Amino acid sequence: MNEGPEKLIKEITEGFSKHGYICSEQISTAVYLASQLEKPILIEGPPGVGKTELANTAALHFNKEMIRLQCYEGLDESKALYEWRYGKQLLYTQILKEQMQEVLEGAKGLKESLARLVDFEDIFFSEDFLETRPLLQALTTEDGAVLLIDEVDKADEEFEALLLEILSEFQISIPELGVKKAVVKPLVMLTSNNSREIGDALKRRCLHLYIPFPDAKLERQIVHARVPEIADSLQKQLVNFVQGIRELDLKKHPAISETIDWAKTLILLNSEELDAKLATDTLNVLLKHQQDIEVVAKEVPRLISDSMGTPDGKSIN
Amino acid sequence: MERVLTDFVKALRNANVRVSPAETIDAMSVINDVGYDDKVLLKRTLSIVLPKTPEEKQKFSECFDNFFTDEIKPVEENQSASDNANPQEGKSDLANTLLEGSQAEIMLAIADAAEESEIREIKYFTQRSVFTRRILEQMGVGKLEDEIMQMGAQNDGGEPSELEQELRNQLTGLRERVSNYVQQQFLLHGDVSGEQLREQVFKSMNMAQIDRSYMQEVHSLVRRMAKKLANMHSRRKKNYRRGKLDIRKTLRDNWKNQGVLFNLSWTYKKVDRPKILVVCDVSGSVGAYARFMLMFMFSLTEVVSKLRAFVFSSNLGEVTQDFKDQSLEPAIEKALQKHGGGSTDYGQALSEFVSLCLDDIDKKTTVVILGDARNNFGPEKSHLMKLIFERAKQVYWLNPEGKYRWNTGDSVMTNYSAYCTKVFQCGSIDQLERVIATLLKTAI
Repeated sequence: MNEGPEKLIKEITEGFSKHGYICSEQISTAVYLASQLEKPILIEGPPGVGKTELANTAALHFNKEMIRLQCYEGLDESKALYEWRYGKQLLYTQILKEQMQEVLEGAKGLKESLARLVDFEDIFFSEDFLETRPLLQALTTEDGAVLLIDEVDKADEEFEALLLEILSEFQISIPELGVKKAVVKPLVMLTSNNSREIGDALKRRCLHLYIPFPDAKLERQIVHARVPEIADSLQKQLVNFVQGIRELDLKKHPAISETIDWAKTLILLNSEELDAKLATDTLNVLLKHQQDIEVVAKEVPRLISDSMGTPDGKSIN
Repeated sequence: MERVLTDFVKALRNANVRVSPAETIDAMSVINDVGYDDKVLLKRTLSIVLPKTPEEKQKFSECFDNFFTDEIKPVEENQSASDNANPQEGKSDLANTLLEGSQAEIMLAIADAAEESEIREIKYFTQRSVFTRRILEQMGVGKLEDEIMQMGAQNDGGEPSELEQELRNQLTGLRERVSNYVQQQFLLHGDVSGEQLREQVFKSMNMAQIDRSYMQEVHSLVRRMAKKLANMHSRRKKNYRRGKLDIRKTLRDNWKNQGVLFNLSWTYKKVDRPKILVVCDVSGSVGAYARFMLMFMFSLTEVVSKLRAFVFSSNLGEVTQDFKDQSLEPAIEKALQKHGGGSTDYGQALSEFVSLCLDDIDKKTTVVILGDARNNFGPEKSHLMKLIFERAKQVYWLNPEGKYRWNTGDSVMTNYSAYCTKVFQCGSIDQLERVIATLLKTAI
């Protein structure tokens, strides 16, 4: 037991905030643990709370290359792991045909020709002809990398099984070349929107971080970091307004990214204060469903008055 | 200290958080790094390593707070003032332990007494006070109380002596400590939320007899079941019916044949998830079941995307949209209010169902009918059932009544069952689960 962890976690929080990513203690602890235990983090949470951004920032902070693999239905190993450049292989065999002839010249009988060929056997299945895809690339990067496997839940279940070897052993078996081990173990982050339950086997190999919608205090810090030009009073109002909306029963609640967009919108419109008309007019930045807009439009006056009033005093100080 | 962690993991498992040995090892290495001293940091780190879903995190948080209250307290030695008190001869063992013993000795005494009282047997929340009492008695609290009483009697009227005061304090402290200890043991050994027991009972009980105040619990149960089933169900299976020629794969695979295209590879099409239509009887005769049937339907709409739900007593109405927009209680209330309670007319309902969505029934569709087939001696129109049966992939009928009651009175089960792929009796949640499991197995 030393005073190390506390300090290192704090360093991460501060380092991230330098890159404009304000994170809760939960998040920085998770990043710390991931680098300490060399385990992947599975990040879950509603869309727009900064899951992908976390990986981007981690790459900046640790000064490592960011490698991203976007998952989708039908993603398979030839797109995620590696592929043989068969086109190049084909071309090279054509070009090298004459050379082959030279090599084989004077060889008597099949046996001798074969023996000569054996020396050249693996030319076409060497690294020169290997197209590395994100996962393999992450393992072979010299200085280590941050590997983001985005929206794992969108990929098929078979793909999850493919990930297991990489995530627990940090290695990939390529039949022609043998097992490739990581040069430097990459920091792996997986994100999921929970459109499908992730398999237990995968979950067990990961640390689990759930990022919820932020509370008012944190959200204000985030808005401040991302849209520094916004006036304090407007920012306070705006955040309280969004927090109020999240308490309503909606199809999709506005996330941080929407709050930031909205803040930018308001600045663009040169507004200094949030009033009912302005809010109603710009609701479509915050909400992405017509039904939700209708629900919120009715509540706007109340939300406006709430956002000016007392509740913020409690939550901010 | 490892013991503390394994005990905590045990408590977590007891509270329905699944923790694997590998995760325990992770937790161990995390603790080596972070240490036990900072409780907040410890909680934060463990909450990243151990629980793996938001629900589990919730449970973890409660469990952690309960478990570590006592664990950290004994370290504070604020009660060691008792060192000054002179040991008095002629006192009971307990009094001496309390006055002279260290914190560890007292804890040890508690643990011994607890062992004697068979604390491991603790199962239910309500047993905690019994066990607390039992442990205290085992430790000889009765005798100590007598002594204190005597002391009080000896200097009657006057100020209580220092010793008496001290003993009283210690006794209160001891009571608190024992009750904390029991609480912790309960977390380890007991059925923490009583959930397992209640679930068992609910599952095997006839659905009509479950009180409405348990709706919430039953719903979470049904929902979990529906989710499990839907997960199984949503697994797409590859269909090897030939699609287009996969040129890349063919070239790659045939490289070993010197580029001679010997084995052809095809892209394959995936089978779509089957459609489900659920029709639920909510008339008076199945009134007691209707709520649970609707609850199940509701949970299914939550997890299966291509599902249409209908309810009827005499007239049929679609409730898919209501179920999607509203939460459980209001959705069910609305469905019951709009369509429920009337007398059954299967003939009418069937003809409306056919006119409403016969076009929607194709060879991928599964039709599920929930009802008792009691038709009030009205026209049964089983030719419509035949029509549905011929178009759909399969038709299932789930009847909440016991088999012995089918075809008695106004029940026309046989006439309909002729046009069903299968009929099931389905009166309890257990039965429902079994039925749906078989249903999904054959559905794909």
